[in-house]
Amino acid sequence: MTREEVFERLNAVFQDVFDDGSITVNDGTTADDIEGWDSLEHINLVAAVEAEFGIKFSMGQVVSMKNVGEMADIILQKL
Amino acid sequence: MSITSFYFLCFFTVVLGLYYILPKKLQWGFLLFVSFLWFMTTAEVAESGGWYVVLYPMAAVAAVYVAALLIDRAKEQRVKRAALICAVLFCVGLLCSLKFLGLGLLVPAGISFYTLTLLGYLFDVYYEIGAVQNSYGKLLLFGCYFPTMVSGPIVRYKEMEGQLFGGHRFDYRRVTFGLQRMLWGFFKKLVIAERMALVADQVFDHYTEYAGFEIWVGAAAFTLQLYTDFGGCMDIVLGISECFGITLPENFNAPFLARSISEYWRRWHISLGSWLREYLFYPLLRTRFFMALPGRLKPRFGKKRAKQITTFAAMFLLWFTIGYWHGGTWNYIIGSGLLHWFYIVSGELLEPWFAKWCAAWHIDRRKGWFTGLQRLRTFFLVTVGLIFFRNPRVPDALRMIGRAFGAFNPQIFVNGTLFSLGLDWIECSVALVSLLLFVSVTLLGQKGSVREMLERKPLAVRWILLYALLFYVILLGQYGPGYSASEFIYQNFRA
Repeated sequence: MTREEVFERLNAVFQDVFDDGSITVNDGTTADDIEGWDSLEHINLVAAVEAEFGIKFSMGQVVSMKNVGEMADIILQKL
Repeated sequence: MSITSFYFLCFFTVVLGLYYILPKKLQWGFLLFVSFLWFMTTAEVAESGGWYVVLYPMAAVAAVYVAALLIDRAKEQRVKRAALICAVLFCVGLLCSLKFLGLGLLVPAGISFYTLTLLGYLFDVYYEIGAVQNSYGKLLLFGCYFPTMVSGPIVRYKEMEGQLFGGHRFDYRRVTFGLQRMLWGFFKKLVIAERMALVADQVFDHYTEYAGFEIWVGAAAFTLQLYTDFGGCMDIVLGISECFGITLPENFNAPFLARSISEYWRRWHISLGSWLREYLFYPLLRTRFFMALPGRLKPRFGKKRAKQITTFAAMFLLWFTIGYWHGGTWNYIIGSGLLHWFYIVSGELLEPWFAKWCAAWHIDRRKGWFTGLQRLRTFFLVTVGLIFFRNPRVPDALRMIGRAFGAFNPQIFVNGTLFSLGLDWIECSVALVSLLLFVSVTLLGQKGSVREMLERKPLAVRWILLYALLFYVILLGQYGPGYSASEFIYQNFRA
């Protein structure tokens, strides 16, 4: 899977989790950029991303990923 | 010794002098020595002569030290897991049996703080996001660095390792910034908190004699007392540490400017909140049970509600823990735990309804007056929680709240009753002026560092302001009986 494809699928997950069809994410997107991405929603988001890609993040990755770019890197590593 | 006592200031001056005379290599060892010296002079040890309590933190550090090394070196996940579980059970077991089970044992200072600090380090090693410390002495300093033993903050290893062990050269600006911060803490603690305490004690200890606004004044005084006391303590502690060249994380960010209770918890006791979020709440939500729960609830409640209910259930456990950590009795579990859970849950559930209501009445929620109302609401809700917190028994708290709502007597603000609640009119004026100063500086602080703003002022202005504050504190500080400032409220929660 290419990085672009990962981002495409991530977009769909984000739109679904945050109930906002206009969201597009990029490397630098952080919790500050998306309304409702707080600590609670973070876990829901992580669970949805895991289900989408069929992977599992470690607890360390869950708490330490700084932006969507890092998330995509981890996904690419695990696929 | 209390950190607002005269002896402590003498001790601190000597320590600071020696710290900067020593070569950088020896500084961490010196801080460790000083931390133990301080520990041996805490009320817990000095009053009972029970020097052996020093063995508790040493044992907790030893357990975490060994477990972290095992986790780092072991190949098998099974071994790592076993090491983690053993060390966590040991530390939490020590904390609970000493602090919560009421066995009448002597409790070491700072146990609730150093336990969480050490466990955070261990989890980071286990999650492979933190480095492992190979020296027992250094880990001991990380766990027992004395400024954090007074009343927190709970610190992260990755934030501390670069600062604690490398040594620091004397930096005039940092030391003066540290001293200024300490002075501001003394102002909050000695001038405001101690005065508020007089009103709060009077009303809470004799609540059956009061009703209506008298109770609300007393309760509000306690909220202000707790905040300026704990916040002031943090200023002193962070200031002390800054003098050593070590920056500790902030524990408060103007909590009463929060527009909701969930925002309040991101601004109040920040280090505890983020610790529990990362090491308790997230892992909890990632357990099989909580991961599967939304799926199981979905057919009955729909996707959105199912997710919400799961989150609320996990939050219930989180808030129960926060309450329990404060003292293990129901007044804390309700007052700083479950009641706040209820606030947040009901806030979330009512939000769609409230948004519609605002739209129907054409209320713009971004307007200043609306924000003001939200902030007042935060203060009110927190104050109700603290009525539970301050009353050792829950029925007393309920009766007190009943009395507060049971009478409408705004005349107390004009007929002089106000001055019979522990502060006469002169003292009330001092308290009011000090609170105004405190609020203005807090608001100014939202725009940037107040000390940096001060730094840009001409030398004369700077010194006049600092001396004025110093003499204000010395002259108007309430030193309590025997000239020894009463203990910080939050310090009681370490024991």
